[in-house]
Amino acid sequence: MTKRIAHVDDDPDIRDAVARILEKNGYEVEHYLTMKDFIASLEHGGTPPDLAILDVMVESMDAGLTAYAEIQKNHPYIQTIFLTSLGDMIRPYFDKESDKWVCVMEKPVEPENLLSVVEDRFAHSANK
Amino acid sequence: MTSVQFDWKKTSNSVALPVNNNYSDCAAKLNDDILISNIRWFIIFRWGIIGALILIHVIAILTPDTLIQFRTIEENNWPIIITLILGIANLLYIYALNYCKPSKFNTPSINLWSQIIVDLICLSVVVHFIGSTATPAPFFYILHIALACIFFSTLESLLVALIVSGMYTIVLLIEFSFTGQFSTTITVDPAVAQNGKTINHMLFWMIALDVLFFTVWYLVSRLSLVVRAHEHQLAEAYKRINQAQHEKDQYAVLMTHQLKSPLDAIRSKINLIKGGYCGEVPQEIKETLLKIDRRATNMAGLILDLLRLQRLKETCSCNADNKPVDIRKTIQKCIDKLTPVINNKGIIFNVSIDHLIYNGIPDQVEILMENIIANAITYSYENGSVEITSNLNKQNNSATLTIADHGIGIENDDLPNIFNEYFYSPRAALHNKATSGIGLSIVKIAAENNHLNINVTSEPDKGTAFTIIFPEVQFSETVRKAEPNEIMDNPLQQQ
Repeated sequence: MTKRIAHVDDDPDIRDAVARILEKNGYEVEHYLTMKDFIASLEHGGTPPDLAILDVMVESMDAGLTAYAEIQKNHPYIQTIFLTSLGDMIRPYFDKESDKWVCVMEKPVEPENLLSVVEDRFAHSANK
Repeated sequence: MTSVQFDWKKTSNSVALPVNNNYSDCAAKLNDDILISNIRWFIIFRWGIIGALILIHVIAILTPDTLIQFRTIEENNWPIIITLILGIANLLYIYALNYCKPSKFNTPSINLWSQIIVDLICLSVVVHFIGSTATPAPFFYILHIALACIFFSTLESLLVALIVSGMYTIVLLIEFSFTGQFSTTITVDPAVAQNGKTINHMLFWMIALDVLFFTVWYLVSRLSLVVRAHEHQLAEAYKRINQAQHEKDQYAVLMTHQLKSPLDAIRSKINLIKGGYCGEVPQEIKETLLKIDRRATNMAGLILDLLRLQRLKETCSCNADNKPVDIRKTIQKCIDKLTPVINNKGIIFNVSIDHLIYNGIPDQVEILMENIIANAITYSYENGSVEITSNLNKQNNSATLTIADHGIGIENDDLPNIFNEYFYSPRAALHNKATSGIGLSIVKIAAENNHLNINVTSEPDKGTAFTIIFPEVQFSETVRKAEPNEIMDNPLQQQ
């Protein structure tokens, strides 16, 4: 079955790049402009995605982190990747426990890296 | 329709510092943490007094003649009783503080009040027995007034001053009204001895000492208010500095994001073309895109390095969270991170380091190592090698870690300036167009924050060695040294 991936980013060029790479490699991609839209789609009972790729600074400085906390609380089965310009520099914002397993990728989008991390996340969820 | 009213009025908190001298806010007593630390100090002080009383007993037993002139323990056992009472009371204060659950009746304030009242009763007994007007003993009351001014609010300390005044008056009245029944043991004042105790004499002492008590109370409580007001201002200023620091960090993060985002979008598009996601592209355009990508990469690196530098500058070693850092694991992590760059240049890593643990700020030690290793790779020639070795000094538990390359080296004139934030070496820039140029400034600040020294030796066209000096390390005798090419389980090692 085709894996569904949700991507939230306010930059249309990044959204386009991610969609092209993932769709060409057999994934189904839904993209959202804001975290609010994505959370609303989850709350309205739509089929949740298998994986969410989140930017951090979308509507606000920490919208991605807030959305992540909400996903962890209400939809823990959704795998998550942070794709942010700040890369590892956002790690101080995580508490020490979650810091170990939070997956952070630095922009720009590199096709090989992105695919490898996405596959790794799916393998991780299959092993759970 | 939605309507929002914006208000940019500053809150009262944003006023820089209080401009008037109104200390009423600070007249309240100290918070519980400070009171508890004062209680402990007070208890230790009392142990000192108890120790001095015991010493007097010992001297009295060993050489009774030496105390005969003071006649302090003749006929009466009050010093022993006072010592016992103070000792038992001190143990009770400690018990209440450390082993009893805080409750309505067991607060630091009640504990301090009990201490002061018991002390004052004991002191009054002492004053009574050794003379309320003939010795300096009543002056010890002042100590309690001063302590009350430090521990309590102005009103409470005034209450202590009133209690002191009352107790001293009672002691005087007892002494002068029932001279026949209660014997004082010391009669040093010749005037009293010769003329007897008169009502005027008693009134003189009562008024003089009461004036003294209340003068001391006024002065010390005033001083205490001023100190508390300044403490309050300092705490407020510290809070505002922390707030400003936080806002500064947020601003730096925001700026970094805003500056780097367009570059990331450009580089993402270039990556799509490079990866063939936009169809076939002529070689010439591909090469041009690679050049654009390289410049954009440099700029993105510089932007992130600036944020890193800013964060390091904000962390001072005094407030940082020091933890044991496994140096070998940190090196491994750094090499893993740098694998793509190492692969590109075909660098061979020879690693032979001991199992060292250093107490530092983990993230910063990692940044320091990563930058030095990245430097070694950057300024090595293609297919060169980098050696990482350690040296233990078991005598003083210190160690050194050396990262040496065989690259372009550093000119003698440049060497003293390499850690300077504003230093630029055209020769280094010519060899490497891909770094931000502030990597060693980051190393310097991380080293400062972690109390590390760095020794650099270099020879142009031969290479450079950075030696990190760890002043104090823990090391394991049982863990063997990592052998060359074995440490990292890294494919690069087999090159």
